[in-house]
Amino acid sequence: MEKKKQRIGLYICHCGGNISDYVNVEEIGKLMQKEDGVLISKDVMFTCADSNQKDMIQDIREKNLDAIVVASCSPKLHLHTFQEVAKRAGLNPSNYVQVNIREQCSWPHSDKPKDATMKAVGLIQAGVKRVAYSESLENIEVEVKSTVLVVGAGISGMRSSIELARLGYEVYLVEKESVVGGHVAELEQVFMSGQNGKKIINDLYEQVKSYSNITLFTNAVMENVSGSIGNFSVDVRIKPREEISGQKEETLTLHAGAVLVATGFDPYQPKEGEYGYGTMPSVVTLPEFNEMIRNNPGKLVHNSRQIRKVSFIYCVGNRQNKGENKYCSRHCCTSTIHTSIQIREKYKDITSFHLYRDIRTYGKQEVLFEKSSRQGDIYIRFDEKEPPQIEQQGKKTLIRVTDYLTEKRELELEADLVVLVTGMEARKDSTDISAKFKIPIGNDKFFNEIHPKLKPVETVIKGVFIGGSCQGPKNITESVQSSLAATAKINALLGSGKIQLAPIIARVNQDACTWCGKCAEVCDYDSLVKTTAANREVALVNRATCAGCGICAPVCPENAIDLAQYTDSEIESMIDGFMMEIDPGEIGKAEAAVEKEVLQMREYPQMWKNILSTLNGGKKTIPEMAEELNEKKELVTYHVMTMNRYGAVVPAGMDEDEEYYYYSIKN
Amino acid sequence: MSKVNPYFAKEMKKLGGTEFNACFNCGTCTATCTLAEKDNAFPRKLIRYSILGLEDDIKSSIEPWLCYYCGDCSDSCPRQADPGNIVMAVRRFLITSYDWTRISGLLFRSLAAYIVAFSLLLLGIIGAYTADIFTKEEWVHYGHYFEMIAIGSVFLVILLPNIIRMWYFTVARKKVKFNIKVYFRELKTLFIHMFSQKRALECDDSKENRTWWLEHLLLVIGYLSLLFTTVFLNWFATGSIFIIVMGYIFSAMIFVVTFDFMMKKFRKKTQRSTTLHYSDWFFIIWLFLMGVSAFAVRLFIDLDLLQNNFWLYLFHLTVLVQWALIIVPFGKWTHFLYRSFAMYFSAILEAPENARK
Repeated sequence: MEKKKQRIGLYICHCGGNISDYVNVEEIGKLMQKEDGVLISKDVMFTCADSNQKDMIQDIREKNLDAIVVASCSPKLHLHTFQEVAKRAGLNPSNYVQVNIREQCSWPHSDKPKDATMKAVGLIQAGVKRVAYSESLENIEVEVKSTVLVVGAGISGMRSSIELARLGYEVYLVEKESVVGGHVAELEQVFMSGQNGKKIINDLYEQVKSYSNITLFTNAVMENVSGSIGNFSVDVRIKPREEISGQKEETLTLHAGAVLVATGFDPYQPKEGEYGYGTMPSVVTLPEFNEMIRNNPGKLVHNSRQIRKVSFIYCVGNRQNKGENKYCSRHCCTSTIHTSIQIREKYKDITSFHLYRDIRTYGKQEVLFEKSSRQGDIYIRFDEKEPPQIEQQGKKTLIRVTDYLTEKRELELEADLVVLVTGMEARKDSTDISAKFKIPIGNDKFFNEIHPKLKPVETVIKGVFIGGSCQGPKNITESVQSSLAATAKINALLGSGKIQLAPIIARVNQDACTWCGKCAEVCDYDSLVKTTAANREVALVNRATCAGCGICAPVCPENAIDLAQYTDSEIESMIDGFMMEIDPGEIGKAEAAVEKEVLQMREYPQMWKNILSTLNGGKKTIPEMAEELNEKKELVTYHVMTMNRYGAVVPAGMDEDEEYYYYSIKN
Repeated sequence: MSKVNPYFAKEMKKLGGTEFNACFNCGTCTATCTLAEKDNAFPRKLIRYSILGLEDDIKSSIEPWLCYYCGDCSDSCPRQADPGNIVMAVRRFLITSYDWTRISGLLFRSLAAYIVAFSLLLLGIIGAYTADIFTKEEWVHYGHYFEMIAIGSVFLVILLPNIIRMWYFTVARKKVKFNIKVYFRELKTLFIHMFSQKRALECDDSKENRTWWLEHLLLVIGYLSLLFTTVFLNWFATGSIFIIVMGYIFSAMIFVVTFDFMMKKFRKKTQRSTTLHYSDWFFIIWLFLMGVSAFAVRLFIDLDLLQNNFWLYLFHLTVLVQWALIIVPFGKWTHFLYRSFAMYFSAILEAPENARK
């Protein structure tokens, strides 16, 4: 254990009044000077100001401080600022502790300045005690392989592989199916470029082939995944291709510095009988309908019947208030309307009914909706409570629907084909992939990022990224955007060949450890493994994968595990510090000081006296006062606002005609 | 249960309703329309019926007749679906549905049919003239008889049954029984409206609208008066200076107002003049020709020129025959009649509870 810090610098922030109006920072500063180990204790108007940062650096160097504490705002705001101050002064940033006396004291307890001050004293004492036991920690450096494993050769995976290859990485592109391209290859025409899906995929495939540093494995399934950021090992089982005789199944072990999971989605498969699916021949899903269009060049024929009226039913298996799939699949409105426009162009004499719940052709896709309705597609809005009923009467397929746009009228329509607009679902094997890579999945079974806005392609597993629709419903553009974002993140991670990891991880005292395995059981990241040290079985922490969550520390029966920066001695000393008795004399003084401050405020400047004399027991608006005092309105406003703030004057109703407040002297 | 008919839109397109499919049901048209009421989302509901092809619901709608096409709905439509235009198309559809002979259906859907019908009548008159059946005096004499017979028979054989059909669709089918007294009491609405067109004033109080109402009213008054003057007072054969002057005034009223209407339609300045069906043009042009030719014929008579310029009378007669046999029973003329009856029927439908039985 490191030496207890004895030369601590403490800086208490006024935050311009945000803190000092309620917490008596000056008195606390004086009080803390007597604290054991504290060399400097100052109150500062703005601790984060450049000038104070310079003073701090000077203090650290001149007085040879070994730890610093700043009592100011939330660490979310300025932890990094002061860690950098420490670094610049040559102090290890781990020897810095931030105490939050603004969000935790002055703001929430502004009605009780005395209690706010007491609480601040407790928190500051805890911070000072903690920093005394702080250790100097260094970042963990890990060497990384410049190889990337891309899982899934759909449009996202292929597009990312090409970019990674261009950046010079060795890429392993692993595809479960025997062909590449995923769902995009199934589309005859994509909005908005109008290109053929298969052609897009073919072009990408040609590019993939042209890079010697991309190795594509098809018919390949992930088996065992081990290792961590910088060096993952993944066993890939490659099934023999049917068309090539004599091929044998083989398993390869691939090593990669980072992994991009782009496994995509499964289209929702309606249940037997859902809207007549599976029981009525004229009911198909949108992907099935798209295939039908691909295969019928001249006339649209289904079950040897020409299709003239198509009825689309939207949101099938999506936006289920009571069901599992509560989300909207984003792409299906656009996709359906685009299909409807395509069939009208391709087959001429064809009409579409759209039985929808809401139309979400967001962004540039809105033009499709307008085009479709202008061309005569009929839109009928239903509610989830009253879904359309489908009935087969001989050869006729009848749909009954309550139209919310026509005063909830019961409508009956005849259709030759009913197309169920099925949305996206997480892949059936997503749980399996999630278990292998330890990527968290949501209730909807899609993979979860760390933060939907700030870390949208990173997972909690360092080095494992997600891209495309395996993360949630996305259209093609959004899928490629996210996988390319992940590509850029991978490049930033692996670019230098080494990575720096934060040092806040679990540490095992191998002398005390008896290897009971409890820590390994609870670890979500598989970071604790059995090893042998001095002929004894003990636990070892994988420094690269440990997330520093601390779950292992409390389960250890031997108390052999500590979490860096949150060691037992640090936490215990914090508790001691917070519980320490505060000299009531000092608090009394502090309280008196607050009182005094208020009294000082009551010693008004000349302007205040003038304002008070014009009010003279009555009430006046600011323009009236300004006129009487022959002063500028802005100046009077400034003073009256300040007087109002300190309780010298109070608002007294409003001049309705002029729309100005009246002010009067507070008794 | 109402059956959706996706092909109805094609029908509407033939009748001049072009862009209504672009409607996305925002209801802005209803919000701007003075005819819309709490339980009656006019014209949004009508557009919805047209899109879905709910013919029965359209047939039982009275509102299209109450609309004077001020164009506010079309101006404010965020999708440029031109709701005002669809109301006009629906009116044409209603004319064809009320007509038991179904001839209006043919004429409103096909410009060729219109032209053929007009040409046949023209050829008939030319044929009769060249065949020399009548003397010039007889032509004028029988021309007058023709007018009387045509008016009587068109009204009895075509218009009256059509009004009964209209009553059946808009009132009887609603299955609300009314005391017969209501029918008599509300007759005043029919006549007040027919001779005042005052509903138009309720649409909006802009200067443009007031001018339009005045012109419209002058046209109605002028037309009805000229009809009375020529048919019952035998304007072309009368010696009464009073009747002669009246005839000049009425016919002038017609052609001055219609000329102004035509100019407005050419300039396309207002909403109601932007989208026009060919039947609208036939109506306005023939009304103009009728006013001008009647005026000219009487002038020629007064100047003693008609005997040597008999072609003028034949021209007037052709216009008259085409007007009386095509435009009046099967063309846009009927909107005058149906609108007045619509006011009457809606007054009956709005009669208080105690008037029902």
